[in-house]
Amino acid sequence: MQSFQRFDRSTSLMIALLVVAFLLATFDVRSAGDGIGTTMRDGAQTLFSPLQNAASAVTRPVVGFIDAISDIASLREENEALRAENEALQAQVQQFDIVQAEVEFLRELNELTAPDDLPTVPARIGSPGASTFDLIRWIDKGSDDGISIGDAVINTQGLVGRVDQVFAETARVRLIVDPFVKVSVRDKITNQTGIVTGANTDLILRMFEADVVREGDVIVTAGSRFPAGIVVGTVEQTAADDAGFGLDSTVIPAVNFSRVDYVKVIVGYSPLDAELAEQQAEQEADEPVEGPTDPTETTLSTEGEEDAAGEGSG
Amino acid sequence: MRSRDVGISLLLVVLAVVAQTAVFGDGRINPFGAAPAAVLVVVLACGRYVDPEPALLLGFTAGMLLDLLGGAPLGLWAMAYTVVIYVALRFRSRADDGPLMVGLGVLLLTLMANALFLIIGTLFGERFFTSTAVIKNTLLPAVYNLLVAAVVFPLVSRLIGARQRLGWSA
Repeated sequence: MQSFQRFDRSTSLMIALLVVAFLLATFDVRSAGDGIGTTMRDGAQTLFSPLQNAASAVTRPVVGFIDAISDIASLREENEALRAENEALQAQVQQFDIVQAEVEFLRELNELTAPDDLPTVPARIGSPGASTFDLIRWIDKGSDDGISIGDAVINTQGLVGRVDQVFAETARVRLIVDPFVKVSVRDKITNQTGIVTGANTDLILRMFEADVVREGDVIVTAGSRFPAGIVVGTVEQTAADDAGFGLDSTVIPAVNFSRVDYVKVIVGYSPLDAELAEQQAEQEADEPVEGPTDPTETTLSTEGEEDAAGEGSG
Repeated sequence: MRSRDVGISLLLVVLAVVAQTAVFGDGRINPFGAAPAAVLVVVLACGRYVDPEPALLLGFTAGMLLDLLGGAPLGLWAMAYTVVIYVALRFRSRADDGPLMVGLGVLLLTLMANALFLIIGTLFGERFFTSTAVIKNTLLPAVYNLLVAAVVFPLVSRLIGARQRLGWSA
């Protein structure tokens, strides 16, 4: 009898908790990133960031080692070359490789400049989200470093995502493969514009006026919410617009999201500034010029001229 | 003594959340593109020894922490974990049947948690079903959780169960 009553109480408690969770979810969805949800997340991030960073730092060598083991196919050749060496040396070499790759990557990242020399903030990936369903990354820089919502996040491979939530010392980056993220893009070969939408592992490309996109075409940002010219990916399969309604294809992201440890956040970019700069460049190009000129200085790219329809994240 | 067990359980859940967000996941330990749901295993293991009401609150808290540190709307994991721990409480006497039954329970309850999360998330506008990877992301964590359970359950049993020896009956 006591057991029955206890479960009866627990049923009531479960229903109460479900109601609370349901209300929280409703408020969070309705407030679209503002309100109580943001405050609670800010508090949780403040509390957990130091613990997460400490855990990451402690487990990084182990994680790297396990990650390398799981990637057996790419390690096969390396393993053959190392067969003659003893186990201790193998462990040292693997550790050295991990550190060297990180140093090399950081060097490349340091040399990476944003389009139009826009200012950037280097950041380290703090945590990849709470479950396998999350297509986000937490970075260790926030509004104190000048990062704001909507900033583009890049690495040496290309566009990683956009900042969709910012706290004082951390920020959340939504990856471009998230179905909520849309990016206005341009085919670098044909200069035709379109939109890519995240599809969890790759990207769906929608071109409105292009006749054809070919496999291997490089897709870059067209430049409205994101600065123009950032590599997004390559077209996976050739597609043609036979009926005149536009065409669809898929794009393989340039960034290997599983291997992203460090990124750069492009700060201070405003689509309006880009448009004004472009207009100014057009005016300068129209004015008569004295003496020989450098053709590259007067060449206007079409970057930035695009429809921008629906770009951003929902 | 019981409040001390709840305190230990809460501490274990916090540690599991830190491990889940810092060690597992994409770019970390993520074999075949999926990570174990270690937090759920800890909640289930602790729920074996604490009273039903604290166990429910523990599940809700664990889910809320995942929501706060994740990308989905607040409350989704909280709802999923609350329902799952409630179901686990209903059947926890079956865990006395041995490790096989515990393993089966962890497997099914993890699947249930992931399925609930997907369904509730979809109702709240999340787009989980745009890729076939969703099947992999649902099934693999359940399998991985068997391995995590093999470590976590004996550990929790030592920390809490050794003093209580209540078994799974409430």
